[in-house]
Amino acid sequence: MLFRLENISYRYPDGTLALDRISLSFAKGERIAILGPNGCGKTTLLLHLNGILRPTSGKVYFEDKPLEYTSKSLLNLRRRVGYVFQDPNDQLFAPTVRQDVAFGPLNLGEPIDRVKKSVNEALRMVGMAEYADKPPHFLSLGEKKRVAIAGVLAMHPEVLVMDEPTSNLDPMTANDILRLLLHLNQEYGLTLILATHDVDMVPLFANKLYVMSKGKIILEGSPKEIFSNTELIRSVNLRSPRITHLFDILKRKNHLPINKQLPLTIGEARREILGLLNFKNMTELDKKVNCK
Amino acid sequence: MRSYTSYDNLCAKIDKIAYTNALAKSSPVTKILFALSSLVLNVSTPSPLIPIIVFLINTILLIRFANVPSKFYLNLLAYPTIIVAISSLIIAMFFGQGEALIEIVLPWFRWTVFKNGVTMGITTFLRVEGALSCLYFLVLTTSITDIFITLRKAHIPKILIEMSLLIYRYIFVFLEVEAQMNIAQKLRLGHSNWKRRIRSLALLSGNLFIRTLEQGERTFLAMNARGYNGSIRTLDDLPQPKLVHLFGIVLFNFILIFLTFFTMNLLIM
Repeated sequence: MLFRLENISYRYPDGTLALDRISLSFAKGERIAILGPNGCGKTTLLLHLNGILRPTSGKVYFEDKPLEYTSKSLLNLRRRVGYVFQDPNDQLFAPTVRQDVAFGPLNLGEPIDRVKKSVNEALRMVGMAEYADKPPHFLSLGEKKRVAIAGVLAMHPEVLVMDEPTSNLDPMTANDILRLLLHLNQEYGLTLILATHDVDMVPLFANKLYVMSKGKIILEGSPKEIFSNTELIRSVNLRSPRITHLFDILKRKNHLPINKQLPLTIGEARREILGLLNFKNMTELDKKVNCK
Repeated sequence: MRSYTSYDNLCAKIDKIAYTNALAKSSPVTKILFALSSLVLNVSTPSPLIPIIVFLINTILLIRFANVPSKFYLNLLAYPTIIVAISSLIIAMFFGQGEALIEIVLPWFRWTVFKNGVTMGITTFLRVEGALSCLYFLVLTTSITDIFITLRKAHIPKILIEMSLLIYRYIFVFLEVEAQMNIAQKLRLGHSNWKRRIRSLALLSGNLFIRTLEQGERTFLAMNARGYNGSIRTLDDLPQPKLVHLFGIVLFNFILIFLTFFTMNLLIM
């Protein structure tokens, strides 16, 4: 197991219990989504994964070794586990994009030539190469977010932890970032762990899903398993993806004959509908419409 | 997000020009050397001609070569010029000693305008204008990033540079936050009379202060997450200074010094 969290609890200095005995494990190469309403402790959980927060009780294991909180082993951990913050303004501090992206690799003590190469490569991956010499305050939020991702990618991490990577972004930009993440996962075997409350995104992205509520993991499984439990999802201020919701209504109220799993994505829904209409009839229908 | 503050704020405008002007890509070492050497000569010579030459050269460089909008440059000059003009006038009329230029005797007061007071007033005015043009040349052609890197190469203490670097970046973040809070207050009638305006301003400043503390904490976390260990390392990539330019600066300085000897006594009356 890449990550194993054992009975993690975290109490903030003001006394709030943010995480309540959480146990979970992530394998290498997985795409994990942690879904939960606002204030459920997602960010707190993620901050444990690269040692920024230290659990009040319980243990974090990385590659079956318990995390040590010495600066040397933390540096090693942080090289391998990249963390992208929700607000790119928290992360971008340098006066130009290039310098910001170079910050991580320089901290790893890589030679300058390698750093330059990593920086250019990372900026190209996120499509921000021509912005390299601009200061961050000339960029839009979406652009800043890409730069923030590049800043982490330039360190060549094996795990990418992201807090709400698509929040506040327009649909196209969100889509681009999602595609980039999937590409990184498929091409380089990057393990992805992200926190979100965007339920429509989850089935497109994740192969494993955890649902959090009030500092606890309440559900765990594949998106298919979890979104079939509509009541429970609703009880924690979340919902199923819209398309699943539509099919749920069609099934319950209009008795549409769907025996299998409800579809979670547009692609699945399309297949389902075509199946129901019987594709042959569908083409005839098309012709009729075109004749008119 | 970047909308309102970035464009109507003066320091954001200066910043934008510093990054986009036609001289932005030339060596900051050359530009800093030029600005500083002409500044020193400008302030230290007794000749009134030198500040005028320095001012004209800087203005020509800025408008013709750096393509800084002339209206913007003149606008920048206008405010300090007004203040300096008033101060110089006061110096000219009330300071000095020795030979009198004009003497007005009133029953209760004797007002003397001294010759060397007038000289001093004119010299002050010219020197300040010349110095302003030097600083504007530096500020409008050289991005702060380049200045930081040059300072680092000049072995200025690291802590100072790192602090300025962070402060510089977050000025713009907080300008945006301030503008948004300001609008939010206006929309809820927080500025509808004088008393409320003062109260809103107090709330805004207090809130902004807390925000800066929080931001500092979060930035520290984010830097830690990327392996920060006490010193900020950056890629220092600068264009090399051209020998011709450096030679030109030296020549220019010599000409100024040479001219000083001939025009030293021009103003002394």
